Amino acid sequence: MSMVKSPSGVRTAARVVNATKLYGRADSAVRALDNVSVEFQGAAFTAIMGPSGSGKSTLLHCLAGLDTLTEGQVLIGDTDVSRLNDADLTLLRRNRLGFIFQSYNLVPTLTAEENIVLPLRLGGRKADPQWLAQVVTAVGLADRLHHTPAELSGGQQQRVAAARALISRPEIVFADEPTGALDSRSSADLLRFLRHAVDEYGQTIVMVTHDAVAAGYADRVLFLRDGRVVDEMTEPTADRILDAMKGLGE
Amino acid sequence: MFGLTLKGLLARKVRLLLTAVSVMLGVAFVTGSLVLTDTVNAAFDQLYAGLTKGTDVSVRSKAAFTDTATMGSPKPFDAKVVDQIRKVDGVAAAEGSLTGFALMLDKSGKPIQPGGAPTLAAGFQTDRELAGGFSMRKGRGPEAPTEVVIDAGTARKQGFTPGDPIKIMFETGGQRQFTVVGIAGFGEADNLAGATLATFQMSTAQELLGRSGQFDTIDVRGKTGIKPDELRSRIARVLPTGLEAVTSETVSSEASKSVSDALSIFTKIFLGFAAVSLLVGSFIIWNTFSILVTQRSREHALLRAIGAGRRQILGSVLAEAVVVGLVASGLGLGVGLAVAGGLRGLMSVIGMELPSASLQLHLRTVVAAFAVGVGITVVAALAPAWKATRTPPIAALRDAATPAKGVSRWRLAVGGLLFVGGVAGLIRAMSADSQVAAAGAGALATFFGLTMLAPVAVRPLVRVLGAPIAGSVTGGMGRLNAARSPRRTASTATALVIGLALVVGITVVASSVKASVGDVVDRANKADLILKSASQFAPGFPSGVADKLRRVPEVGTVSEMRFGVAQIDGATTYVAGVDPATVDRMANLGVESGSLAALGTDGVLVNTDVATLKGLRVGSPFPVKFAQSGDRKLRVAGTFTDKTLVGSSYLVSLDTYNANFSERLDIAVLVGARKGVTTEQVKQAAKAALTEYPNVAISDSAELKKTQNDSVDQLLGMVYVMLLLAVVIALLGVVNTLALSVLERTRELGLLRAVGMTRTQVRSAVRWEAVLIAAVGALLGLGLGLAFGAAFSRSLASIGIVTVAVPIVQPLVCAVIAALAGVVAAIFPARRAAKVDILRAVVTE
Ligand SMILES: Nc1ncnc2c1ncn2[C@@H]1O[C@H](COP(=O)(O)OP(=O)(O)OP(=O)(O)O)[C@@H](O)[C@H]1O
Ligand SMILES: [Mg+2]
Repeated sequence: MSMVKSPSGVRTAARVVNATKLYGRADSAVRALDNVSVEFQGAAFTAIMGPSGSGKSTLLHCLAGLDTLTEGQVLIGDTDVSRLNDADLTLLRRNRLGFIFQSYNLVPTLTAEENIVLPLRLGGRKADPQWLAQVVTAVGLADRLHHTPAELSGGQQQRVAAARALISRPEIVFADEPTGALDSRSSADLLRFLRHAVDEYGQTIVMVTHDAVAAGYADRVLFLRDGRVVDEMTEPTADRILDAMKGLGE
Repeated sequence: MFGLTLKGLLARKVRLLLTAVSVMLGVAFVTGSLVLTDTVNAAFDQLYAGLTKGTDVSVRSKAAFTDTATMGSPKPFDAKVVDQIRKVDGVAAAEGSLTGFALMLDKSGKPIQPGGAPTLAAGFQTDRELAGGFSMRKGRGPEAPTEVVIDAGTARKQGFTPGDPIKIMFETGGQRQFTVVGIAGFGEADNLAGATLATFQMSTAQELLGRSGQFDTIDVRGKTGIKPDELRSRIARVLPTGLEAVTSETVSSEASKSVSDALSIFTKIFLGFAAVSLLVGSFIIWNTFSILVTQRSREHALLRAIGAGRRQILGSVLAEAVVVGLVASGLGLGVGLAVAGGLRGLMSVIGMELPSASLQLHLRTVVAAFAVGVGITVVAALAPAWKATRTPPIAALRDAATPAKGVSRWRLAVGGLLFVGGVAGLIRAMSADSQVAAAGAGALATFFGLTMLAPVAVRPLVRVLGAPIAGSVTGGMGRLNAARSPRRTASTATALVIGLALVVGITVVASSVKASVGDVVDRANKADLILKSASQFAPGFPSGVADKLRRVPEVGTVSEMRFGVAQIDGATTYVAGVDPATVDRMANLGVESGSLAALGTDGVLVNTDVATLKGLRVGSPFPVKFAQSGDRKLRVAGTFTDKTLVGSSYLVSLDTYNANFSERLDIAVLVGARKGVTTEQVKQAAKAALTEYPNVAISDSAELKKTQNDSVDQLLGMVYVMLLLAVVIALLGVVNTLALSVLERTRELGLLRAVGMTRTQVRSAVRWEAVLIAAVGALLGLGLGLAFGAAFSRSLASIGIVTVAVPIVQPLVCAVIAALAGVVAAIFPARRAAKVDILRAVVTE
């Protein structure tokens, strides 16, 4: 599957500059990120791959303002995330970012619809009904809106999460192994929706995954090892990705 | 297994402490009251042992019965008996003594009235050894009729020193002036349990107390080598009938017993509060352990899967309960000691001065503290622990969040039955007078029924109460979370229900009492003025007051009333002495049969209800046992309905009263104005005439109502403080539940924070949840309290509640405050919730 990048108006949606992240005390520190510099283009679907422990989640969390770098900078648009305090970070996440986690994405007391519009409601805003209908239809949940998460399958739950990530039309959606707990059919549903969002609405998506097939939906794949970006691929296919992964020793 | 439990507990110190606190306060009440009782008793034992030191045997009138209320008023007898006793072989010394009423006035002329303790006069004993612990601190004994020795407590507080003039009032008349010549102490103590004591030359005392040539006790010391018992029986042989000889050991143990009897009411009240707070605490323990067991169901299942037996699971949960109980008991014991110390201080502030003794911590108290603390905790944790053993090993593989189980049919049926039955009982109690049993059983059944049904009621209640805040995102979340686990919310709220229902119920009873006082006074009173002692602690005021009023021209009618204790059908009760000629002009007694005039010197007017109950009719024989005069055969002279103004079901004439009691103090005097004189005029005249009686309060009926209401309010204030503690414990329960819920929802909170919920919003959601839980408790407590209050007010008609007044504003304010206190309860859990580490929360698992 190959997709052509948007030819014009390419902008940088996010950037990390000389990012280093150390865990633990100085003498026995783990270098989760080691002087990483990378850019994420707008309206593009980027996948991050690498062996376990290579720093994928760390990179994503730092990008999303959920964690802070030891050194270096994270920029979302023109905003230097490392300079924001907790309140500003919260507003940044609420208004400008979207999230899909591997599991436990939804608030169990709220219905699917309430979960989807949660970021807006937290900001005291109402969902644009047209946009809501569009997103809901795209994830194929129109008939499930009034169910609680406990009444939805794992795949449906992840699609609700995806819809929530898109509802505020964020600058970037971050996804950490969103298909990790799904079977291949549910995975394909979710990934098609993400691809659709990039193509149709110009959504920017950064996704961490272990799955070559999932990464095949992306426009570009970054390979991490030992906290460093060691390879990069555009117009990826599952086969090429698998080859590259072998080269990384996984 | 226990090691594991302990480790787990230590890791959660804050929670352990919070859980323990709910039981701690109850334990503190228990230990506080026991320690105080022991301390006071020890102090009095010491004091009386000291006072009777040097005396081997005492001689006094035989009392037909002894009771706390009769102590200190032995019947006087001929002083010549002392000469006979001196002649008995083995007697080294014998001296009479006499005690009575004397009210000292301070330097500004105000009566020195201690709260709850008597104001005494006594004759000075010249034999210093017989005087025992009574010792001169300053100056000398009285040597002239105008000289007096006063107790060191009064001297210290009022600044009297030898040489000062002092005014003193007696049973019969007005003020007399004396000179202080000495200050006396009682061993270490400055006074006798707060009593004031004025000591005169013996002959002066006899004259002042109206007992010329009489003593009420003779103290005897034996020659060395003779046993008190032997001496006692030798003396007994020469005594005239009606007198008895007792060893000083008996005297001091009787005195100590009367003190501890008087204190026992205090202890009982305290233990009542302890029971309430322990009940509240047990709900919190039960709830906490239920939550813990649910949260750990995975852990338990895992343990079961790897081979742990049911008993081991049960043991591990109960072991945790034991540790919580031990911590609670230990803390409670400490707090209880502090409470006892504080209460002793409080008692001395209100005038009940206690002789000093260090706080007595007996082994019995320690055992009781731990038995109560550990016992309640373990019992409350039993059901949750049992539930833990029911966790199937397969649960380890399922999702941790077990869906909230519905309420069982059995529970619904029993709860429903109890509730309906209880409400029926309350309604019955509300619709007829004096259904105390129906009210009590109804209240209990309603409460327990409600407790069982509460989990079902929680969802709709939270939905309705939370409707106004559902529009805001945090309010809506708080509302959802409060209804999330109905059982948890229900039991948390129930703890609050108990305290609030009691507060509201007592408020209703109190307002009914107040309303009744008004009605009663209006209905029963015909007098223009009512004279009572200015201090509620005084036993009455001198009869000279009535004599003086009779000489005031504006006064038309003066009717005195006296009070005494007697035994009727074996029960100790109050008997009122009234003036048959005037009392019905000043009060509506509602005489139904017979007449006041028929009282004579052997008649009793009996309250109609009592007469019906006992099957008495005019002319029926009516035996009464008086402490001093023994058995007397009286007869029923009539029946009357309205006892509200006389305050007793049994009325005798003043002549009968005076023949059987030696006291001459009036409890009240009712005054009517002469024709053509207004109430205001007669009041001014009475005031002017009674300037030398500062201990008498003159009020018209409006003022009387007000002073009575004030005293209800005072009592109410004290009860509120105690019950508010129960409410506070319940709020601690809200803190505990919320803290555990927040812990349970770490992931969810992290997720919410990740998608853009601010810390402020998180705190606000937790706060709303707390307020809603508290509001459920407040609403149910308010409803129950109003029903209880109305039912009990009605059923207490026999003690003079004639009007049931259900106040709305006060209870509503209580309920709203309780609900808003949820905000305070939420502070700690909300802060915790806001601090959730987002990354940890979203990454775990
Ligand atoms: N909170 C932490 N404390 C200490 N070390 C950490 C922490 N989080 C991550 N690490 C370490 O940092 C390194 C990178 O971790 P990260 O979670 O980013 O890896 P990953 O690429 O997402 O792995 P996986 O594919 O298993 O999810 C690892 O060596 C990990 O052990
Ligand atoms: Mg990862």
